[in-house]
Amino acid sequence: MEQKDDIKEVGSLLLDIGAALMSSGASSGRIRITINRIAEAFGYNADLLITHRALMISVSDEDQNEFFSSLKRTSPHGVNFTLVSGISKMSWKIVDQKWTVSQIRKDLERMKALPHYPRMVVLLLVSLAGASFCRLFGGGLTEMLVTFVATFAGLFIRQEALKKEFNPYLCVFFGSLVASLISGLSVKYQIGQTPEHAFATSVLFLIPGVPLINSFTDLMDGNIMNGIVRGINGLMIAFAIALGLLASIMIYHI
Amino acid sequence: MEILALLEKGIWFGLAALGFGILFNVPRRTLWVIWVLGAIGGLTKVFLLEGGIGVVLASFAGASFIGVLSIQAAHGKHAPPLVFSIPAVIPMVPGAFAYRMMLGFMNLTGDITSENYNELLHQTVNNGLKTLFILMSLAVGVSIPMLATRKESAKVIKLKK
Repeated sequence: MEQKDDIKEVGSLLLDIGAALMSSGASSGRIRITINRIAEAFGYNADLLITHRALMISVSDEDQNEFFSSLKRTSPHGVNFTLVSGISKMSWKIVDQKWTVSQIRKDLERMKALPHYPRMVVLLLVSLAGASFCRLFGGGLTEMLVTFVATFAGLFIRQEALKKEFNPYLCVFFGSLVASLISGLSVKYQIGQTPEHAFATSVLFLIPGVPLINSFTDLMDGNIMNGIVRGINGLMIAFAIALGLLASIMIYHI
Repeated sequence: MEILALLEKGIWFGLAALGFGILFNVPRRTLWVIWVLGAIGGLTKVFLLEGGIGVVLASFAGASFIGVLSIQAAHGKHAPPLVFSIPAVIPMVPGAFAYRMMLGFMNLTGDITSENYNELLHQTVNNGLKTLFILMSLAVGVSIPMLATRKESAKVIKLKK
């Protein structure tokens, strides 16, 4: 009979994969499916307790002779769909090609180390997205330019604040404040035809799209607790955006 | 001319989706697909709005369309559907309604005469409910294909075809 991989190694590997998925923005259902798929490839049963900030796993072999249980905190690292996509692809390869634990570990580390988009590219394209939003809501060229600059500055400040490890909601607030202060200038001095459009759309780069959509996905899947937690997280972010806007409105009296 | 103005919106929907794709660090090979999906979803919504359908239903249709197409894209580009669908629906997020609701709430907390109060409350609640229902319809719309096929993975849907 083929020697099974050590249950401890498999268990802690599964936990690492689950934690990576959670930090990079996968829904609870996806985490559970991926973990179970990999565990089955090794001939183990895995049960997961998924919460927003911690992951608990219990792995057992089919005869229930061996158990492994462990708990791991997951850190919110920001959305990273390349990692989600890579792990999903890897999970199928594990099933099809009978990968070993060390092989998977190596691939996981490789994927975690993959470079993100260069900062300038992110800043420019997200600002362009902001300008596109402005156009969609009916802004003209001037308003689009204002939104572009405001988004650029807001995102830059948010990235800097995240680097300095401020509270994440505070980072959103800073971003929202800076963006709306810049676009608010155009409202104050009536630059362009409809400066309100620039003001309203300059903070849209902060919208918590992933938390809110994952929240509903989890609720529909029956992961009610996770759905509520993610939803509240999304609402807190929305609240931070609103506070930034509010502060600008008060400062400029607009 | 009317059609052209609408089609132009498709470009912007696509660009907004692309920006968020970059922000979420999607794999490079999926970028142009996200642009196309964002444009198609947005245009669906815009055309339906033009045809006199409510904004909630139009967003739902756009999001469902994106959801179905993202399954196809997932097969072609070997990435989970959410990589395509989440950035693509974000341009449809009701930013303007949310902003007006917030402004409304802020005005409601200020000094306000009773004549204006009803009008303002009416608008604020209307904008707030629109925001909520559009968000819900986006999330449900995106997961429609998964719900309809009752499969746990997009990969399985392909195998059964």
